[in-house]
Amino acid sequence: MRLVRYLQHWLSGIGPRLQVADFVPDSHPIRQWADTFPWAALVAAIEHRFAQRCPKRSLCGRAPIPLRVLLALELLKHEVGASDEDMCHRLRTDFAVMYACGLREYQAPRSQAHFVLPETLSEFRGRIDEALMDELMAIQAAAAMDEGLVSPAHLVVDTFPAEQGSQRVTDATTLYKAQKKPLNSSTASPGDAAARPPS
Amino acid sequence: MRGFGRQCRGQGRIFVTLVRHTERQLLALGQPIHALGQRAQQLLAQADDINEAQREGLAMQLTAALGAHGHIRQQSGRLTQGKKLRHCKLVNAYDLTIAPILKGKSNCPAQFGRKPGIISEPATGFIFANHVPAGNPSDLSYVLPLLDKVQSAIDRVRSPKQLQVHSVAGDLGINDTALRQALHARGILTIGIPKTVAPINPTPTTEEILDILNKAGSSCQRTPDQVQLACTAGYSRPVVESHIASLLSRGAGQVRYKGLQGAVVQQGMTVMAHNGATLMRIRQQHLSKRAQKFRRLLGLRHRNVTQINDPKN
Repeated sequence: MRLVRYLQHWLSGIGPRLQVADFVPDSHPIRQWADTFPWAALVAAIEHRFAQRCPKRSLCGRAPIPLRVLLALELLKHEVGASDEDMCHRLRTDFAVMYACGLREYQAPRSQAHFVLPETLSEFRGRIDEALMDELMAIQAAAAMDEGLVSPAHLVVDTFPAEQGSQRVTDATTLYKAQKKPLNSSTASPGDAAARPPS
Repeated sequence: MRGFGRQCRGQGRIFVTLVRHTERQLLALGQPIHALGQRAQQLLAQADDINEAQREGLAMQLTAALGAHGHIRQQSGRLTQGKKLRHCKLVNAYDLTIAPILKGKSNCPAQFGRKPGIISEPATGFIFANHVPAGNPSDLSYVLPLLDKVQSAIDRVRSPKQLQVHSVAGDLGINDTALRQALHARGILTIGIPKTVAPINPTPTTEEILDILNKAGSSCQRTPDQVQLACTAGYSRPVVESHIASLLSRGAGQVRYKGLQGAVVQQGMTVMAHNGATLMRIRQQHLSKRAQKFRRLLGLRHRNVTQINDPKN
């Protein structure tokens, strides 16, 4: 119920509330996958670290999006191989994703396009540092060892290459941009600047 | 710099003259940057309409930008003069921690990016920790940080059962005497790390087991059964490639987030998603015969999810 209270500004539709768990069968892969995570411990660790790094200075303003939702979206993104935009859309329409995010009841107006914006997910990711990431993995491993599912007795170490795939900046691109910039500034007349709407 | 990356894979030509011509123009364009940067630092120190924290932040960003420009300028100057660059050269102007990866591909120029390391359980593929260093260090440097992370996970376990790392397996890249001694000092067997390209014997004789225990030293308090399992794990070390393939299928082969921190987050989240799928398989008993036998020998309990033995309600 605490989670629903946080999300009440989205879940303000009319009609009866739908029970998310009723729509996701026990054998659904995303449900089974989500049930393996120690969510409470993971969220507590993130809350603790965020409180240290970015302390909240004021109690005013809208309640933040629950960390459980953001963490689950980020993990699901890598599990299903989707983009931020896709995951945020699926949170709006896919009951299995809602279940993985810890939402238990669903009631929203049709006009609401997103529960979580992709930019919010990106900001959440930017706050995670290496120490927190290691802590989250240690919590997951410790929970699995506690359950007796895995053992650290015999381990294998290896490395693999991961090429940089985000932004390929070449010298030719940089030169093209550098040459284009003074060209644009010299061709722009004062009349054009006055006709532009104020930013 | 145009020799790196996917664009130049295969039989593509590298246009050296065009690169050198472009570099000269860029160097000419960037000539006044150093003087402008120093002037900007002076003006920033005199600015009154910003507070101290803002001034410090801006000064830090300006210093970093000038440092990066100096690095790029030095490298570009050497390139235009036709000199060979040193090994750890700059390959991305926005991220100095990216380095060429000299492994993984045999039929194309070297990729550039990162080289994450993982430490996993050979039976099921559960990954206990990963490590994404800056640059491209040797595989040796991954082992101890990864083991430290595993130990921190073990320290979090609340069950009374004493969990320990008994053995570590790897490829020839981590075959080093100093590393073996460090692992033996921690009580960890190194029989899984090969010394030659020959495969490890999965069924050592009693004499061989005693020999392994003697070589490990007195600090390594291991039993013959544990040595036997360590040999089996070392023999089946190539199974780690399937764990890596699982990560690659989740997009770990291409770093899409910015910077070292972004790479750490992406790889970490991928590993956690993979671990979730692995735990799901373990609970459903969707494991190979070899994995089931290995788990039985390790004393890991079988959880029959379809049977309710002791209903609480």
